[in-house]
Amino acid sequence: MTGLKRSARGAARPATAVRAVLAASVLFAVAACSGGAIAANNQLSSGQSFVEGSYSSTFYQPGSRPQAPAVTGKTLTGQRFSLAAQRGHVVVLNFWGSWCAPCRQEAPRLAALSRHFQGADVRFFGVDIRDSVPTAQAFDQTFGITYPSINDPADEVALAFHSTLPPDGIPSTLVIDRSGRIAARVVGEVSYSGLQALIDQVLAGKS
Amino acid sequence: MADQNSTVAGQAGLAEHDGGTAPGADAAVAAAGSAQEATGRRGPKLGAVGWLRWGWRQLTSMRTALVLLFLLALASIPGSVLPQQGIDPAAVSQYYAAHPTLAPLLAKLSLFDVFGAPWFAAIYLLLFTSLAGCVLPRAYRFARGVRQPPPRAPRYLGRLPQTAQFTVAMPADQALASATAVLRRRRFRLRSDDGWTAGEKGYLHEFGNLLFHVALLGLLASVALGGLFGYKGNRLLIDGQTFANTPTALDVFRPGRLVAPSDLQPFTVTLNRFTASYVMSGPQRGEPLSFNGAVSYTSRPGGPSRTYNLQVNHPLNVDGVQVFLIGHGYAPVIKVTDGTGQVSFDQPVPFIPIEQSGLSSAGVIKVPDASPQQLGFAGIFLPTAIDVNGRLASAFPAAIYPRLSLVAYAGNLGLNNGVPQSVYSLVTRQMHKLPVAPRPLAPGQSITLPHGLGKLTFVGYRQWMSLAITYDPGQLPALLSALTALAGLILSFLIRRRRMFIRVTGDGSGGSVVAVGGLTRSDAAGGFEVEFAELTEEIRTALQASQPNSGRPAGDEAAVAQAQGE
Repeated sequence: MTGLKRSARGAARPATAVRAVLAASVLFAVAACSGGAIAANNQLSSGQSFVEGSYSSTFYQPGSRPQAPAVTGKTLTGQRFSLAAQRGHVVVLNFWGSWCAPCRQEAPRLAALSRHFQGADVRFFGVDIRDSVPTAQAFDQTFGITYPSINDPADEVALAFHSTLPPDGIPSTLVIDRSGRIAARVVGEVSYSGLQALIDQVLAGKS
Repeated sequence: MADQNSTVAGQAGLAEHDGGTAPGADAAVAAAGSAQEATGRRGPKLGAVGWLRWGWRQLTSMRTALVLLFLLALASIPGSVLPQQGIDPAAVSQYYAAHPTLAPLLAKLSLFDVFGAPWFAAIYLLLFTSLAGCVLPRAYRFARGVRQPPPRAPRYLGRLPQTAQFTVAMPADQALASATAVLRRRRFRLRSDDGWTAGEKGYLHEFGNLLFHVALLGLLASVALGGLFGYKGNRLLIDGQTFANTPTALDVFRPGRLVAPSDLQPFTVTLNRFTASYVMSGPQRGEPLSFNGAVSYTSRPGGPSRTYNLQVNHPLNVDGVQVFLIGHGYAPVIKVTDGTGQVSFDQPVPFIPIEQSGLSSAGVIKVPDASPQQLGFAGIFLPTAIDVNGRLASAFPAAIYPRLSLVAYAGNLGLNNGVPQSVYSLVTRQMHKLPVAPRPLAPGQSITLPHGLGKLTFVGYRQWMSLAITYDPGQLPALLSALTALAGLILSFLIRRRRMFIRVTGDGSGGSVVAVGGLTRSDAAGGFEVEFAELTEEIRTALQASQPNSGRPAGDEAAVAQAQGE
C-alpha cells in the first residue's frame, strides 16, 4: 500500500518518481512471492482441500523408463511390503485416499481390473494417503478391493519417488515393469480400458 | 548546444520515462499522448509499424507505469480484505460457509487468489514490460555515457555558467600544458587539441545511474526467478502427524511455471506437540500469549532427524524452503461404528475456528464407507463450552471444558461420482437429517444413531497447526538488487559530473590569455562554484610558479577571476 501513496505523489517530481519505480519493483517482489503460479492447480474453484490430479496418461518406451525407487512399508493388515521383492512381476501401484472423490469413482474399476488380471503376472498394490487404518479398511470393504494397500500416513512412499516420478496429485497410478522400472503413469482417475491397455502393453513387453 | 541538451536529459534522470528512445520528432508524437492528436495530424499516416511504435511508447511512458502501479496497488486491496487461499485456506472455507452464494462468485473472479489471478498477472506483466522497456534503453545509454570522452571545448568559454580569465607571461602551449597538468593531477578525464583542453570528472555519477538501472533489471529478473522456480504450499498438520514436502501431501500447492514435483525439496516435518498459551485473567483474558509447534524434521529421506520450535514469524528453514506457522485449531477424534457393527471411521478431523475469542470451531465428518448408508455430521467444537441464554458458546480458546455438538445426516454424500468436494463442507442435497438429541458430547461420549445406522463416539481431541511452505529463489537476489539500486541512487545523487575547459591564446607579446570555463551536468548537491574557484586558483598558482621570471608580478595583477553564477 505504500507503493500506492508513493506513486500518487511521484508524478510531480523526478526524485520521487525514481522512488516510485523502486517501490513498484519492491511491490513486484511481494506480488511475485505470492503470485508466481498463474496456471497452477487451482483448488479454489472447487474449494476442496487436497491436491487433485488432473487426468493424464503416459506410457514410457522400454528404453526411457525411470527406475522405481526402493519402497518399503506396512500394509493395512500389518504385513511388511517391499517393492523390490516384486521384481519379476508387473506391479500396479495406485495412490488413493478414502476421502478423495475421484479415488472413490475409480475404485470399482481398479477392483474389477485386479480380478481381470488374476492369474496373469500382475500384482496390484495401493498406497493409502492421509487415512487411518480403520477408515481405509472400510473403503476396501466398500469397493471389494482385495489387493493390499500400504498405509502411508507420513508420505514416505510418495517421497521415495521424489527423484523419479513423484505423484502429482491424488489419485495417481503407476505401472512398474518386471525389471522394476516405471513403464506407465496415470495422473487422475483411471478408466478401465485405459489402464487395462497400459497393463497389457507392459505385460507383452519382453523385459 | 548539444551539450546543453544532454545536460537537461541528464538532470531529468528517470522522471522522463522513455527519454532514451524518443529523440526529436518521435518524442513529440509521444508527448502528444493521445490517439486523436497523433492521427489528427495531416501528413504521413501512421502505418502498422508506426502504431506499434506509438503503442510501445505509450506502454513505456512514465504515466502508464504510474497508472499501472496504481492499478496494481488497487488490485491488491481485495487480497488484504478477503481471505486468501494461499495464505489462509481455512479462512476461505469459513468465508464459503458464511456467504454460500457470494463466495463462488468471488472465487470465479479469483478474489480468493488475488495474486494468482489472471487480471492481476495482466497488470503486473504490463508494468513489468513498461519498466523493462524504460530501463533497458536507459541502461544502454548510461553504459555509453560512462565510456564517453569529454566533449570539445566551446569556442567562447564566457558563455558557460562558471568562467574565469587571466593572463600569464609565458607562451600559450606551455601555459596550456601546465594548466592541463593541474586537471590531470585532479584526475580529470582529458581531451586536448590545438589551444584547448577539456576535462571531465564525476563519471561515478553516471556509473551510479547505470548501477541503479541494472539493479532495477536485476530486481525484475529476481522476481521472475521467484515466479518461475518458486512455489507455495499449505498443510494442516495434526499433533503426531508427519508430512513430506511432496504435492500429494500438501493441501494447497502452487508451483511456479517451471516447477516440477521432483523439484520440491524432499523434507519431512513431524508435529510432536503443539502448545498455545493464553492470558488467563484481566481485560486481555483469552488473548494468545504464545504458540509453539515442537517439530522434528529431516531434510531428506533417511537423513538425520532434527528438532525445532516453530513459532509465529519464526519459520523453519530447510534447504532454502521456509515453513511458517500460520494458524492453529482443534481436531476432534471421531470413531464411527456403522450399522453392521464395523468401525468405518476412526481418526482426528480438523475443525476450523469460526471465531477467535473462544476458538469455537466448525467442521464436518464424512463417513462414506458406513453401511447400510453413508453418514455425514456437521458440528461445532467448543473448547470451553458455556450456555448463554440457551445457546452454546465458547468462553475461552483453551480446551478447558471441551464439548462437541453435532447434527447427523444419512444418505448419499455425493463423493462416489468423482466430483471433488471440500473436506470442510457437507453436501446434504441427497441426505436426510437424523433425529438425534442435540446434546453436546463430552470426550468419551457417544450418540447412537436411529434406524440402526450406527454409533458415533467423540473419542477426544488433538490440536493442529497450519503451515505455509514457501520457496522463493528470487528472494535473496531481489534483496541484493534492491540494495544495489539504492547504492546506485545514492551515488548518482551525491556525485556530480562536471567539466572544466581551458583555452589559451597568445597575447602577441610572449604572454598568454588563459580562459577557464566550468559546467556541471547535475548539481543536485550544489557547491560546484566553490570547486570551480578552487580549481581556477590552483591553475593560476601553478602557472605563476612555472613562469620564466616569477619575480615579475604582471600575471598577478592581470588576473581577473570572475566567478559569475548563473
